Amino acid sequence: MTAPPMIDRAQLSAFVDGELSPEESAAVVMHLADHPADQAYVDDLFAANAALAKAFAAPMAEPVPVKIRDTIRGTIMGATPTITPPSAQIIPFRPRPALVAGGLALAASIAAAIVLFQPAPPSALALGPVTQGSALARALETLPSGTVLSESADRDLMILATLPTDTGPCREVEAVDRAASQIELALACRTTNSGWQVEVVLKEPLAAATGEDGFLAADGAEVQGLTPFLDQRGAGLALSPQQEAALIEGGWTP
Amino acid sequence: MTDHFRHDLVALVPKLRRFAYSLTGNRQDGDDLVQAACEKALRNIDQFQTGTRMDSWMYRIIQTLWIDDRRRATRRGTALDPDDAHLSDEGKAASLPEDRMMLAQTRAAMADLPETQRAVLSLVAIEGLSYRETAEALAIPVGTVMSRLSRAREALLPKLGLSQGPRQ
Repeated sequence: MTAPPMIDRAQLSAFVDGELSPEESAAVVMHLADHPADQAYVDDLFAANAALAKAFAAPMAEPVPVKIRDTIRGTIMGATPTITPPSAQIIPFRPRPALVAGGLALAASIAAAIVLFQPAPPSALALGPVTQGSALARALETLPSGTVLSESADRDLMILATLPTDTGPCREVEAVDRAASQIELALACRTTNSGWQVEVVLKEPLAAATGEDGFLAADGAEVQGLTPFLDQRGAGLALSPQQEAALIEGGWTP
Repeated sequence: MTDHFRHDLVALVPKLRRFAYSLTGNRQDGDDLVQAACEKALRNIDQFQTGTRMDSWMYRIIQTLWIDDRRRATRRGTALDPDDAHLSDEGKAASLPEDRMMLAQTRAAMADLPETQRAVLSLVAIEGLSYRETAEALAIPVGTVMSRLSRAREALLPKLGLSQGPRQ
C-alpha cells in the first residue's frame, strides 16, 4: 500500500479558492475525510473568506454614489446636486427571518407604555426634513426608545434606538402601517438647525414581519439593513437609556 | 466605445467600492479612491484594451493609486471607521451584537496586514478572482500571489479566532 500523498496548506488553500482541477479536488476531499486537522483548517479558510466578504459587503447593497456616477458619466461636477435623489435611497429591505425576542434597547422596554398624542395627519416616512410639530418630529424630540406612538388606529411609530454619529445623534424609527400593510424603517438625524432630517427609509411588507400574535419584535434584520448607512456616518454604539434621556431633557443640544 | 465603457464602469462601481473599502478600511477613503480611479481610467481610456477584463484593469488602477497614496502619506496610518475604533473602548464592545463585533474584528485584522497582502487577499477571498486573474490584475507573478495569500491568512486567521497556528 502506498502512502497517501502529503497535502500542504498551500494545496488546501488552493482547494478552498477553487484553483484545483476536479480530480485534484476529489483527492483533497478524500484526504480530508481522515485528516481532521486539515479539515478544520479548510473550515477555517471558508469561515475567514465568509467573514471577509461580509465585512466589506456594504457597498454592494448601496446605490452608486452620485459623485462617482457623475464622474463616470462626464457630468460637470458642481453643476449637479450632490444629494442622492430621494427615490434612490428608498430600497426594500429583506424579509425578516423568524421572530426573535430582544435586540437593541427595544428588549428592555418592549412593554413600554403607549403614548397617545393629539390626532395628527399620519403620513408615510419620507426622506428629507421632518416637518416641525408633526407627530414624527415630536416622537423624535421627546420619546425614549421603545415607546410606541399611535398616530392612528392603523399606524404606530416607535423609536428603536439613538446612535451617536459623526454629524450628531441619529434615531432609528420604525413605523408599522397596518392599513398599507407595510413596515417602514428610517434613520432620522439631528440637523445643524435644530431640526430632524430623514436620511434613509427602508420598507418591507407587513405580512412577512408580523408574529403570530401580531406583535413585532426586533430581530436584528432591520439593523443590518441600516448598517451600511450607519457605517457611512461613523455611527457608534446605541446610547443607553440614561444618555438618551439626557439628550431629550436637554433638547438635543450637545 | 466611450459610452459603452462608461456604462460598464458604472455597473462595476459596487465591486470597486467593496475592493477599495477592503484596502482602506474606511468608507470615505474607499470612495475617494474609487472616484480617483474612475477619473484616471477615463483619462487613460485609450490604454484599455477592448476584450480584456475591465474589472481587472480597474482593480489594478485602484491598487496602484492606493499604494502611491500610502507612500505619500507616510506614517499616517490607516484610518479605521469610528465603529471599529470602539473595539478597545472601555469594554463597550461587549455590548455590540456578536455579528457586528465579528465584522469589526475582521476589518481590524485586515487593516493590520501589509498593503500588498491585503490586495491579494481581497481579490481572491472577496472578489473571487483566480490566482492567475489576481496576478494579472496586480501585475505580479502567480507565485507571489500564492505566497502573499498564504502569509496573509497565517496572520489573519488567528485574529479571527479561527486557526490554532501553524500546523507544520
